[in-house]
Amino acid sequence: MEALSDNVLMMRVKEGDLDKMSLLFERYKRPLYGFFYGLNKEQELSEDLVQNTFLRILKYRHLFRTQGDGDFRAWMFHIARNVNNDHHRKKRVKATEDLENWQERVGHHENQSSEMQHTEEHHMLSMAMDRLPEDKREVLLLSKFEEKKYSEIGAVLGCTEGAVKVKVFRALQELKVIYKQLEKSH
Amino acid sequence: MEKTQIEELVTKYNEGVADPKEIKLIEQLIESGEIDLTQLRELSGLDEQIHKMKMLSPSLNLDDRFYAALANEKKHIKKETSFSIPSLSFLFPRLAMAAVLILSGFSVGYFLQSPAQKSEVAELSQEVSDLKEMMMLSLLEKESATQRLKAVSLTSEMNEVSDKVTNALFLALNQDENINVRLAALEAIKPYVSKSSVRTKLIESIDSQTSPLVQVALAELMVSIQEKKSVNALKQLLENESTPREVKDKISESIKILI
Repeated sequence: MEALSDNVLMMRVKEGDLDKMSLLFERYKRPLYGFFYGLNKEQELSEDLVQNTFLRILKYRHLFRTQGDGDFRAWMFHIARNVNNDHHRKKRVKATEDLENWQERVGHHENQSSEMQHTEEHHMLSMAMDRLPEDKREVLLLSKFEEKKYSEIGAVLGCTEGAVKVKVFRALQELKVIYKQLEKSH
Repeated sequence: MEKTQIEELVTKYNEGVADPKEIKLIEQLIESGEIDLTQLRELSGLDEQIHKMKMLSPSLNLDDRFYAALANEKKHIKKETSFSIPSLSFLFPRLAMAAVLILSGFSVGYFLQSPAQKSEVAELSQEVSDLKEMMMLSLLEKESATQRLKAVSLTSEMNEVSDKVTNALFLALNQDENINVRLAALEAIKPYVSKSSVRTKLIESIDSQTSPLVQVALAELMVSIQEKKSVNALKQLLENESTPREVKDKISESIKILI
């Protein structure tokens, strides 16, 4: 029902009723922020990227097409990924970080983690997520914010539903290994 | 592959004894849909934890920026769609035709509309007006007077306002440090003067105003709605030494009309 309403709202935006955009913004600002924060761990940057995503949705509203449920969400996350990639391309951020940088980031994240997690378990899980390579972290975040709708994620990533499941499986496998290492060191 | 063999494979994986070759096989079975991720206990537990993880919320700054950008885009569209009006003689037959079509469209639409659609539209309109109300209340608390003015002007877009909104407008009228915001709040309250509670509050407000502009505007409003109960409050202003002479003249005039 909600996904259908998303599509209806976006179609209205496409037809020129821009007020409906505020409803989509209210529905998705938090998941999008969570997605960007999960990828970048920077509050201000994540807010910028959410803003840019909605600006692009507005700019390219005439390109929105709907064929079924979840189209808007898949389209929105597709744009969000592009916004994130463009930002990093511009900033020429290295795809991989060395261990020292990584530890710094985890340290930084630890200071903020009390806001993000309520339990020690979640805290450790979040640290493990940070250690995952970006593509694996991204697929798990998409799975979280697209509520495990693998066909939708397939539309975002440009692959089949089965391929998404395999990506999630591989990411979870690696996460499990990292999580266990962290458990041992604590 | 047979069902029992798949089950054996899953059991092996869950016990942590599957070798790399078997893991590769599991991947293939996941891709083909023969194994569901939820069957892999440990991974599915981890997946659940990720889904339960609470995330940070963005700051209100994001809301401000988004709504400002949206307002800009709306202005932009208005500019694009503005055009010069052709002569009436040219337009009249077309307008008449359009009116007939629209009316028939409405009536057909009305009879064809299902109750579910009606309720969805009503729900959406409610959601939009709730949002406007929420935005208005949050903008009224901003430090910038421009933002507060924007908040007050938002009420003109609302079909019906709640008590929360009228109370917020009275708060702006009585306590805002900026005279323009107070005057705008008074303007925004005008459509609701038919309510007796609103009129009573307006009379009470006379006493709390120190700006000559607001005092005169309130006196004028009292005359236009013929609110005789306001005479005492207006007389008090006359007796107040700090009230400027020009204002006193205007108020005496108003009292004469009201009596």
